[in-house]
Amino acid sequence: MITKTFLKETKELLREGRVRITVIIVLMLLGVAVWISARQYQNVNAQYAMAKTAERAIWDNQGEKNPHSAAHYGTYAFKPKYPLSLVDQGVDKYAGTSIFLEAHKRNEAQFSAAADQTGLARFGDLTPDFILLFIIPLLIILLGYNSFTKEREMGTLTLLKSQGISSWKWLMGKWIALFFPIFIITALMFLVAGIVLNNLNDFGVFRWDSLLMMFVVYLGYYIIFINIVLLISSVTKKSGISLVVSLSIWILACLAAPKAASNIAESKHPYPTRQEFAANVLKDKKQGLDGHNPWSKEAKLLETQVLQEYGVDSLHQLPFNFDGYRMQKGEEHEAEVYFKHYNYLKEQFTQQSKVYRGLAAISPYLPTRFLSMALAHTDYATHWDFADAAEAYRINAQKFLNDNFAENSSYGEWSYRADAETWKELPAFDYDPPKLESILDQNASNMGILGVWLVASFGILLFTTKTV
Amino acid sequence: MLSYNFKYELKLLLRSRWIQLLSVVLLLLFGFSAFNGMEKVEKRKNDIIAAKLEVEENDKLMLQLLDSVERGLAVSVPRWTIPSNPMAVGNYHPRVAAMEPQPMAFIATGQADLFTHYVKPTVSGDDFALNFTEMTSPVQLLFGSFDLAFVIIYLLPLLIIAFSYNVLSAEKESGSLRLLAAQPIGIQNWVLQKLGLRFFWLAILVITVLTVVLVVLGINPFSEVAIYSGLLGLVLAYMLFWFAVAFLVNLWVGSSAKNAVAMLGLWVVFVLLVPSVLNQLGNTLYPMPSRSLMINEMRSMKAEVTEKQDEILDNFLRDHPEYAINDTTQQRGFYHRYMASQKLVKEEMAPLISSYEEQLRNQQNWIGKFKWLSPAIIAQESLNKMAGTATEDYEGFRKQVVGFAGKWREHLMPFLYNNQDFSQADYDALPRFTYQNETELQFGGLGILLALSLVLFATGIFGYKKLSGAGILDQA
Repeated sequence: MITKTFLKETKELLREGRVRITVIIVLMLLGVAVWISARQYQNVNAQYAMAKTAERAIWDNQGEKNPHSAAHYGTYAFKPKYPLSLVDQGVDKYAGTSIFLEAHKRNEAQFSAAADQTGLARFGDLTPDFILLFIIPLLIILLGYNSFTKEREMGTLTLLKSQGISSWKWLMGKWIALFFPIFIITALMFLVAGIVLNNLNDFGVFRWDSLLMMFVVYLGYYIIFINIVLLISSVTKKSGISLVVSLSIWILACLAAPKAASNIAESKHPYPTRQEFAANVLKDKKQGLDGHNPWSKEAKLLETQVLQEYGVDSLHQLPFNFDGYRMQKGEEHEAEVYFKHYNYLKEQFTQQSKVYRGLAAISPYLPTRFLSMALAHTDYATHWDFADAAEAYRINAQKFLNDNFAENSSYGEWSYRADAETWKELPAFDYDPPKLESILDQNASNMGILGVWLVASFGILLFTTKTV
Repeated sequence: MLSYNFKYELKLLLRSRWIQLLSVVLLLLFGFSAFNGMEKVEKRKNDIIAAKLEVEENDKLMLQLLDSVERGLAVSVPRWTIPSNPMAVGNYHPRVAAMEPQPMAFIATGQADLFTHYVKPTVSGDDFALNFTEMTSPVQLLFGSFDLAFVIIYLLPLLIIAFSYNVLSAEKESGSLRLLAAQPIGIQNWVLQKLGLRFFWLAILVITVLTVVLVVLGINPFSEVAIYSGLLGLVLAYMLFWFAVAFLVNLWVGSSAKNAVAMLGLWVVFVLLVPSVLNQLGNTLYPMPSRSLMINEMRSMKAEVTEKQDEILDNFLRDHPEYAINDTTQQRGFYHRYMASQKLVKEEMAPLISSYEEQLRNQQNWIGKFKWLSPAIIAQESLNKMAGTATEDYEGFRKQVVGFAGKWREHLMPFLYNNQDFSQADYDALPRFTYQNETELQFGGLGILLALSLVLFATGIFGYKKLSGAGILDQA
């Protein structure tokens, strides 16, 4: 019975012009989206590789210089693009791509692509994630809205009932008939993406298991939509109404809920403005040691402490340059201040994420979106991870430079110049994105929510169709 | 016939509770979105006030310090932050360059969540590296804001679709079309009247609800009559476009469900697909030069400049002999060299920086050429402009700030090169920033929308006559 229903439904779908046309359009859109994204991906990565080598060369060839001048001169950390961003661009467009690493200051990532585009960019891009997240659910609605209502409208329901079919089997047949084309389209798209990525293997490490995981997440998302659409079709009397109701749910889940969530999250847990943040940091910085200011209270305190520790009575007798030592201590204080303030930001971000998870109760779109971005390394958490790695590198680089200054010169010797070869000794900045396992670990709650949606939608569907 | 239709429609809409339902839905949507917009504007205002207050307080401290210095007292701040040094004023006491919200800013978030509304340019900073983006979670930027513009552009058409997809097909499906065909009225006239009446009622609802919501939220919409009527005009024109689409679909497509599918397809095309495709094409045709490579360029230039600092300073002084005459001490320190080098870097970088602006302008023009393909783009652009949150507004702000940064620097440069101390008496002459809103209210968008709707209606009225050789009843 299941197979018979499945075959009949599939035949019907194939016969209908609207289905053929829509599927062709969706496939075409997907093709264009993958093509554009692949081009962009290659472009960005070529620029990334170039910028990275050029910057390193600039750093290496500074020539003789005081290490602290080099510290102020600074260097840049560039954010790489990861293979799966081909499938989901996530927040990449809105997050900065380069961080300036200098003495005394933790800078935010600068130059987001969106800031360099027209207002139209805010409508969204034709990327695979747009199609996967918005258009395919629409396709599901289009294919399935009249799955049950048509039996009513054509009068075949009475015939079917007289056959003595089990409504469960009947439902399964219809379900599979709707799931099958979606599965094929999605599988095709992921397969193509995988093959494309496999052949672009010069950048980043592409892993099939991440792609597979993403595929599973999207399948889950589609199954939820299939369940909802069939459920609506089975409880409404007319095809038109079934369609309108399904669409309202689509709008609510995919368009309205995320926007409303973003408004609620922002008004509940706002970020400070850039200037406010800078002012707060400055206030805290002033309360501690400033490496450049040997006359401050804190500097004098440090002086007495160090003199005591080494049992000498003047800074000149210390086995290292106290200027460099103080610089490093000041740097450590500043790093702590930044740590505190950035942690506050992170705290706000965590709270905001909770709001998003809360609203996932009305929108399966939200957990899917977050999971997909996380798997693609294009989510906000990965951006944080990158920024933290850059900061850790900055702190180490400062230590390297201050230590060089302290060890190789004597107190008051500001004219000291480090050797031109010194800069090469600083290891290059290297960033590894979180591994698949830790991503899944971090996103366990999103997986859970998606699971609940899956089970609940199945449950309700089975329960209500008993009485069709 | 029109009056019959009118009465019948009103009864129908009231009995089917459409009007009641729509009022509630509109009230909720407009209420929530306008509230969100207000909240954002409120925050923006408060942030600017707080920033200005902070500067005022800092200025008081600065004047106190100056007073002490001028009276020869010792001060307990680091040497390089003492404000008698003009560079200390320029770097540690910058002015707030703020972009105050326009009266209707709550309509559309536009680019307001992406860009900052105030910066404090310093003398030694790089103008082109001034960060104009706001500190926002990128997730919020990705999802966008539930503002009035969203309700109008995305949701209102969907309400219209739900309100009008089955005007004709329902008659067909319930069998009353045959009765109707016996009446002395052309089918397209009848559909036109029916849709016209629905448009009329929806328009009344939208205007009333919007006005009520604004009044309840404490905005007097009539204080800015020109913009408010512009807003209402735009909304009505946008609605008219969707009714025109409904008219065509009702005439040409068959059953209710098919109509709904067709209209939704058009909605997806106009609201989601065309904007993203145009944007993508614009980016591909006029790609932004890489920012990472700009950084490289800037870095190597700075490295070069640092090596030749002394030479640059000499050249600079040769170009500005007035500094050599006025200054008797002829002392030259770090800042003399640095500021001269910065000036050079700025000049050398200018072509590269303007290439970004030019590409953005190219993209803008490209969209301008094709925006009539999607009424959603027109509506969004017009709403952003009314709200003062369009890309152009922020570009204008950026330019004004860069101009101000130059003024700020130039104001303090003579102090530096004349080795003249900054004093209390000089405080009042410090330049201040006031944002000038440069975009004028335009009704071009409204015109295009009306023209598009007219074309669609005309196609329906005249095209249908020619096509409908076969009677509509044949399909029924």
